[in-house]
Amino acid sequence: MHWRPVYAVLEREVVRMMRQRTRLLSAMVRPLIWLFVIGAGFGAVLEQPGVNYQQFLVPGVLGMTMLFGAMLAALTMVYDKESGVMRMLIVAPFAHYWIVIAKMLSAALAAIVQALLLLILLGVLGYVGADTRFGLLVMALVMTSLACGGIGMLVAAFTRTLDNFAAIMNFVIFPVFFLSGSLYPVSRLPVALKFVALANPYTYGVDLLKHAVTGGLPSGMGADFAVATDLLVLGGFSAAALVIASWRFSRESAYEPMIHILTGKRGG
Amino acid sequence: MNQATEPPMAVRARGLVKRYGEVLAVNNLDLDIPAGQFFGLLGPNGSGKTSTIHMLATLIRPNGGTAAVADHDVTLNPVSVRGAIGLVFQDSALDRTLSVAENLRFAGLLHNLRPAVIEERAAPLLEMFGLADKRRQPVGSLSGGMRRALDIVRGLIHHPRILFLDEPTIGLDLPNRRKIWRFIERLRAETGMTVLLTTHYLEEADGCDQVAFIKKGKLVQSGSPGELTQRLGRYVVEIESPDPDALASRLAPTLGEGLKDGDVVQFRYADEDVSRLAQLQSELGTLVRALRWRRPNLNDVFLWVAEGKA
Repeated sequence: MHWRPVYAVLEREVVRMMRQRTRLLSAMVRPLIWLFVIGAGFGAVLEQPGVNYQQFLVPGVLGMTMLFGAMLAALTMVYDKESGVMRMLIVAPFAHYWIVIAKMLSAALAAIVQALLLLILLGVLGYVGADTRFGLLVMALVMTSLACGGIGMLVAAFTRTLDNFAAIMNFVIFPVFFLSGSLYPVSRLPVALKFVALANPYTYGVDLLKHAVTGGLPSGMGADFAVATDLLVLGGFSAAALVIASWRFSRESAYEPMIHILTGKRGG
Repeated sequence: MNQATEPPMAVRARGLVKRYGEVLAVNNLDLDIPAGQFFGLLGPNGSGKTSTIHMLATLIRPNGGTAAVADHDVTLNPVSVRGAIGLVFQDSALDRTLSVAENLRFAGLLHNLRPAVIEERAAPLLEMFGLADKRRQPVGSLSGGMRRALDIVRGLIHHPRILFLDEPTIGLDLPNRRKIWRFIERLRAETGMTVLLTTHYLEEADGCDQVAFIKKGKLVQSGSPGELTQRLGRYVVEIESPDPDALASRLAPTLGEGLKDGDVVQFRYADEDVSRLAQLQSELGTLVRALRWRRPNLNDVFLWVAEGKA
C-alpha cells in the first residue's frame, strides 16, 4: 500500500480547494440557486397536495454539489498533465494505477467536503432536519462521491486537454445530472428517459440521498430503489470505473502521447 | 577483460530500440555508465536523447533491447528503478499554485518520505540552491532560474543514487546557467552521485567524465571530452573565403574533407607542426580572406558528428 503518496495527493487537493475560494463559493451558491429559483418555480407549476417540491429537490442539489465537486477535482488530472505536475507523479516509485486511485479518492474527498459544507447551510436554512437518517447519509455521501469520482476519472483518463472542458460540461456533467432523478422521480419519467436514468450510476447516488434526507415525502416522490440496490450499483460502478481508468492510464498508447506533451517535443 | 575489476554500473543498456510508428528514435543503443560518473549524452535535436532518458527512467517502454538502471531492469522492475533515480525534465514539474515548501513536501511524500525527513533534507538543499528565504513563496512568483533550481531540488529530495538531467539549463541566461552548474558540481562533490546529463550547451559538457554523441538514435562517438577533441585533430583550421566551394575542393587532397558554414570552411589538422598552415595564406592568395587555427573543442566534435563526418 502506498498510503503516504495517496495522502500527498489528497492533501494537495484540499490545499488547492481551500485556496480557490471562488470554486468553493460557487459550489455553495449553485445548488442554492437551484433550490430557491428552480425549486420555487417548478414547485408552483407542479403543485401537488402534500408535496413540497423544494423538499424533494434537497437530495438532488446535494448530489449536484458532489457531482460538480468531484468532476472539477477529477479534472485536475488533466490540468496536471497540461501544467506538468503529472511529471512528479509519474516519476514517483509506485505503479501508475496508484495515481488513478489517489486522484479518484481526492475527487471523492473534495465532493464530501463540499457536500458537508452545503449540509450545514441546508441545516441552518431548515431543509435538513432531525428526521435525517444519519447513518444512511454518511453512506450516501461516501458512495455517491466515489461514484462521481469514478465518472470523473473515466472522463479524465480519456481527455487530453482542458480545452474540452465545455464539451465535458455539456455532454457529461449536465446529462448525468438531468437524467438522474434529481429533478423528478425516475418512476414518472417517459420510458426512453427512464432507461437512460436507470443506466446512469449517479441516479442511485441521488436515490440513496433521498433515502437519507426525504423520509417525510409521500410515496412516488421518495426514493425509487432499495438501499441495497443503490449500494450495489454505486460500489460496482466505482470499482469498474477505477479499473477502466487505471487500465487506460497505464496503457502505453495513451501514455506516450502524454510523455510527448510533457517534454514538449517528440523523440528529442 | 577481468570482470572483477570492472566498476559497478549505474546504467547498462544493450541494443535499446524505440520506435514511434515509422520513426526509429533510438536505434540499437548500447550505453555503459559507471557508478559515480558525470556522463553527458549529446546530440542534435531529435537524435533520441530524451527518448533514451525516458526509457531509462521507465516512463516509456523500449521496443527492443534491455536496460538496467541501479541494477534493476527497466521493463521488469520499473518501480525499483524509479525509486533509485531522480529525474529533472526539460520543462518544470512544479505546481505553480503551491509554495516552494509545499512542492517539496508533495514530491517527498510521493517518494514515501516522512514529513520530518522532508523538512530535514529540504533545508540544506534550499540553502545550497539559494532558495532558503523563499520557502513560503508560491512557485509562480519565482524567476525562471529559481524555478529551475527548485525543480532540481525536487529531483533530489529523495536522495537518488542516479540523477537524470534533461537539458537542465535550457532557456536560462548565462549567470543562471553558471549558478545551476555550480550547484550540480557541489552536489556531485558532496554526494558522489551518478549524473546523466543531456545538453545543447556543449561547454557545459566539458566537465563530464564521459560523453557520448548520438545521432538518429545511434551512438556515433564516445569517450572523455579530451579524447574526443583529440580524436578530431590537433587543430581546427578555419578559412574564410569569397568562394568556399573552390577553397574546399582545392584543399581536400591535402587537408581532407572540409565543413562549410557560410563563408567559412573548417578543416581538421592532425599535425602539431603548424608551419604548413602558415603557408596557406600565400599559397591560396585571394581565395583566403581570413585564416586561423585553434585547438578543437566539443562544439567542433558536435558539428562534425552532426554532419556525419567525424
